[in-house]
Amino acid sequence: MEKFRNLPVVKKLGFNRIILFGVLVLMYVIFAILSPTFLKYARILSALNYAYFLGFLALGVTFAIATGGIDFSVGPVMFCAALISGQMLTKMGLPLPVCLIVSILVGTMFGAFNGFMVAFVGIPPFITSMAGMMIAKGVGSVFTRTQSVSWPQASQANGWYRMLVKYRLNGTQIPTGLIILLLVAVICGIVLNKTKAGRYILCLGSNKEAVRLSGVNVKKWEMLAYLICGTLAGIAAIFYVGAYTTVQPGLGDTFNNEAIASCVMGGTSMAGGLASVGGTIIGTMIIALLQEGIMALGFQKDYQYVITGIIVLIAVYADIRSRKRKN
Amino acid sequence: MNKKKSGSPLVNAIGTQKLVILAVLIVLFAAFSILSASFRSYSTIITILSYSYYITFMAIGATFALITGGVDLSLGTGMICYGMIGGYLVIEQGMPVGVGMLVTVLVAVLFGLFNGTLIAVFDIPPFIATLATMMITRGIGSVVVGGMSVTWPQAASAQGWFRSLFRTQINGVMIPTGFLWVLLSVIIMTFILNKTKLGRYIIAIGSNKEATRLSGVKVVKYHIAAYAITGFFTGLAALAYAATFQELSPGTGGGLELDAIGSAIIGGTSTAGGVGSIAGTLIGVFIMSMLKTGLPFVGLQANWQQIITGIILLGAVGIDVMKNKR
Amino acid sequence: MGEVILTMKGIDKSFPGVHALDHVDFEVRKGEVHALMGENGAGKSTLMKILTGIYSKDSGSIVYEGKEVSFTSPRDAQDAGIVIVHQELNMVNHLTVAQNIFIGREPMKGIRIDDAKMVRDSRALFDMLGIDIDPRDKMSTLTVGKQQMCEIAKAISHNAKLVVFDEPSAALTETEIEQLFKIIRDLKSKDMGIVYISHRMDEIKVITDRVTVMRDGTYAGTLITKDCTKDDIIKMMVGRTIYEDPKTKSMVPPDAPVVLKVENLNAGKMVQNVSFELHKGEILGFSGLMGAGRTETMRALFGADPKTSGDIWINGQKAEIRTPQDAVRLGIGYLSEDRKQFGIVLQKTIAENTTLATLPEFMKGIFINRKMENAAAQKYVDSLKTKTPGIDQLVVNLSGGNQQKVVIAKWLCRNCDILIFDEPTRGIDVGAKNEIYHLMNQLAAEGKSIIMISSEMTEILRMSDRIIVMCEGRKTGEIAIEDATQETIMQAATMQE
Repeated sequence: MEKFRNLPVVKKLGFNRIILFGVLVLMYVIFAILSPTFLKYARILSALNYAYFLGFLALGVTFAIATGGIDFSVGPVMFCAALISGQMLTKMGLPLPVCLIVSILVGTMFGAFNGFMVAFVGIPPFITSMAGMMIAKGVGSVFTRTQSVSWPQASQANGWYRMLVKYRLNGTQIPTGLIILLLVAVICGIVLNKTKAGRYILCLGSNKEAVRLSGVNVKKWEMLAYLICGTLAGIAAIFYVGAYTTVQPGLGDTFNNEAIASCVMGGTSMAGGLASVGGTIIGTMIIALLQEGIMALGFQKDYQYVITGIIVLIAVYADIRSRKRKN
Repeated sequence: MNKKKSGSPLVNAIGTQKLVILAVLIVLFAAFSILSASFRSYSTIITILSYSYYITFMAIGATFALITGGVDLSLGTGMICYGMIGGYLVIEQGMPVGVGMLVTVLVAVLFGLFNGTLIAVFDIPPFIATLATMMITRGIGSVVVGGMSVTWPQAASAQGWFRSLFRTQINGVMIPTGFLWVLLSVIIMTFILNKTKLGRYIIAIGSNKEATRLSGVKVVKYHIAAYAITGFFTGLAALAYAATFQELSPGTGGGLELDAIGSAIIGGTSTAGGVGSIAGTLIGVFIMSMLKTGLPFVGLQANWQQIITGIILLGAVGIDVMKNKR
Repeated sequence: MGEVILTMKGIDKSFPGVHALDHVDFEVRKGEVHALMGENGAGKSTLMKILTGIYSKDSGSIVYEGKEVSFTSPRDAQDAGIVIVHQELNMVNHLTVAQNIFIGREPMKGIRIDDAKMVRDSRALFDMLGIDIDPRDKMSTLTVGKQQMCEIAKAISHNAKLVVFDEPSAALTETEIEQLFKIIRDLKSKDMGIVYISHRMDEIKVITDRVTVMRDGTYAGTLITKDCTKDDIIKMMVGRTIYEDPKTKSMVPPDAPVVLKVENLNAGKMVQNVSFELHKGEILGFSGLMGAGRTETMRALFGADPKTSGDIWINGQKAEIRTPQDAVRLGIGYLSEDRKQFGIVLQKTIAENTTLATLPEFMKGIFINRKMENAAAQKYVDSLKTKTPGIDQLVVNLSGGNQQKVVIAKWLCRNCDILIFDEPTRGIDVGAKNEIYHLMNQLAAEGKSIIMISSEMTEILRMSDRIIVMCEGRKTGEIAIEDATQETIMQAATMQE
């Protein structure tokens, strides 16, 4: 084991991430054995539908957690963005591209709001995003008068946005959503690890005061992390409606939990300063696979929540243990 | 640091913040009453009270978690889960309603102990521990009852007496009996918080856990106890919820914890721990339920309540943050 | 001195990777004040934590009042009459003074806590000790010194027979220290055993009867205080004679230009009308007792805390410093007394910490140029002789001295001309200390200007070209190194108005 841990390739990819990937593969194998339908391409696509929007949410939350904070509002913000832009598309007749941009902008605005409250006013992230969650739910409901919004089907006019999720080529479905998600994940990874913004975000997550006293404008960078988080929630909205078309007001909080769970599983430390984009994506996939698998095996969806909750506890406890050992 | 104390000793004793929110509550009530004739009717007040019972119980629970410097996010889904399990025993298994109520509270306390153990023994940050419990309770309730809604007995049915615990009709007049329990809980918990060892140590843990430990206090025990209290009150909230709404559906309850936690914070309980007031929490709850019930009377959708509550929450904490900065 | 109350023999304790205590012996008699001394990390606190049940020992025996004991919790030790006054304040801020003193053993009236009795008893206790504090005040409203007094009162109120003071004087003013000594003498006359941990040699000479010295986790020896000199103790502490020659004359040429001029700086109660000048190539010592306002002055100057008024000139130019960003832009670097909290990002690598203040210079387009960054970090690791396996080592894994070097590297990388060292050798062992001194001298010789805050008199006298003394937020003295002695500095540092 120790030998395996020290292999250069293992070190580069991260031991924990390899284990996590192993868990993902193992889960797939188990589901495939228990339920033969799991080998069907359609099943995988269905699982991926869930992974797209959750993936974007989780990527965003990774940035918030990297600063040592949290964002509890991403789920409702995603729904709020989908509701507002959907309302504009279906009821007000605005062109689709404008609506897609509006969706992203709504996310950005919530992110900016959260970021401002946390970084400049100094309200704890947990409270800020709790308030952000309430406001997002309320705004979504008020804007649509508590009606659900159905985005157009693929065959209808303005339905092309669904190709962002799935593209039919000569009868086979290509998961374009996966390609876009991975692309965005790579960009997030680059931002986090190779740019000034990422360096500052990670460092301030670890020790904000030391970074401030080094002459860095920490407020700006902390706010940026939340802004990125909100923007990604806006993008997630597009992929949610791309997969499921219908959104209802007043919902979305479960997705917060699953997004946070994805990050934590993937090795992003709740203490801040340590984040893994790759881990987050694998974590997302595990949750998506889990919910698909539980349905395929004919269990209630509710088992998924229980299992995810337990996984989160194990992941966090493992993180705490490993940090204790290091100190 | 401004050393100037405001003059009146009464103001100092009650606390400025509590007076401010009390004023907010009165202003809100006055404003709604002036704007809408139907708001100032007896039945509206009864409605406001009915809606407030379960939030009050949850909020008292939330207050205890907050005082330890933690939080409990599993309040909302937990409440539904415990109520569903208790109701399932009564409706599907034919047990007496008293047993169902007892089981509800018992399961709630068990989950409270579970949270407390995760936090105090395993050092898992409170909000992530209770986040996990939030997911677990969301699932477990409906797994136990098989994924359907649970309806507690009707008021008119033989088992319906429990509903009169919270609202009863004498000679056609609605009596808000539930308010009695709420008041009783507030008084008892205020006493426990301020006058007993349990409360003293819970405050001390929230203020400085290490110092408390070094003083020879069994901090783990009291830390867990705080969450057990939170669980207990979530159980009471489940009963109040069942009595008010009868039906509990799987998958719901998420988000209700925000009302509870928000009420506690608006009522002056600090998220940093060590400071909390049950009476303040009660006022916070009334502000919430007044908004929820009152807004439709003045022609605004009930959804505005969430937005306004969010803003009030930010305002309340913002003022606190600014005060500490100076 | 009475009979032996405590004997610790062959106490051994290991933490993962550290042999913290190696068969240490220690003994206390009734009615004696026994000093426990040693460098930072010598194992004094660990030994006391084992005594009071906070840690468990690996081997060895503790005999207390003639019986072999082994306490498993602080409560156990308290019940037996052994109490510790901690170095860090261990007060629950949101409770009152009385509630703090009686926490864990509240007098009860049925299920109710008897708060009235608690207040009465606290008052009686304070009267006995001659302390003037209202037991009903919230702990958070007291000064640090008064909180310390409460801590002492709390410890004694446990029917204590053995009291451990762990650096009690660190946060106290001169008058409070006198009060503390009065209390200690009083306890001594009541036949209690007292362990006194302190770094301040003068206090040791004044108050203690015997001194036990620890070195690197081992027992170095015990001396009778009145029969030994400070040098004897120091020699025992370091295990070798060190020569800390005070500087005899300023190394700064008389015509060196003024690089920094501060005039009438004000920030809260701790910084009142502070003015001074700093010359090129100078090491300007800032002396004073703990809580004299030196750190606060520097933080206000650096923009880390808001200032109410005051003018700053850098190289003759008026400078507006509102945030640390402004200060850093103007070439000021601040090395905090609390490295771990304010100086470094522990969980990041040496390279990442080195470029923290200069990251924009290491960019290639929008990307960080790792190669350049690593080269810079390596350069400073080499030139400062930082001991590390590599620049990708996490800073948390380095020793205190090497962590300090990383902070220095951060500011050198920024090419700061003015460096503020706040307690530069705190928590650093003797060998590394000398290296830091050498480095500071070298930097000054290269034309950097240094402000050095230090609470160690020897450090001030050895390093400074000129000394500014502060007391209670005011500048109370400016002394040329030629005229500086411990006495002249102390006089200024304790000046009362």
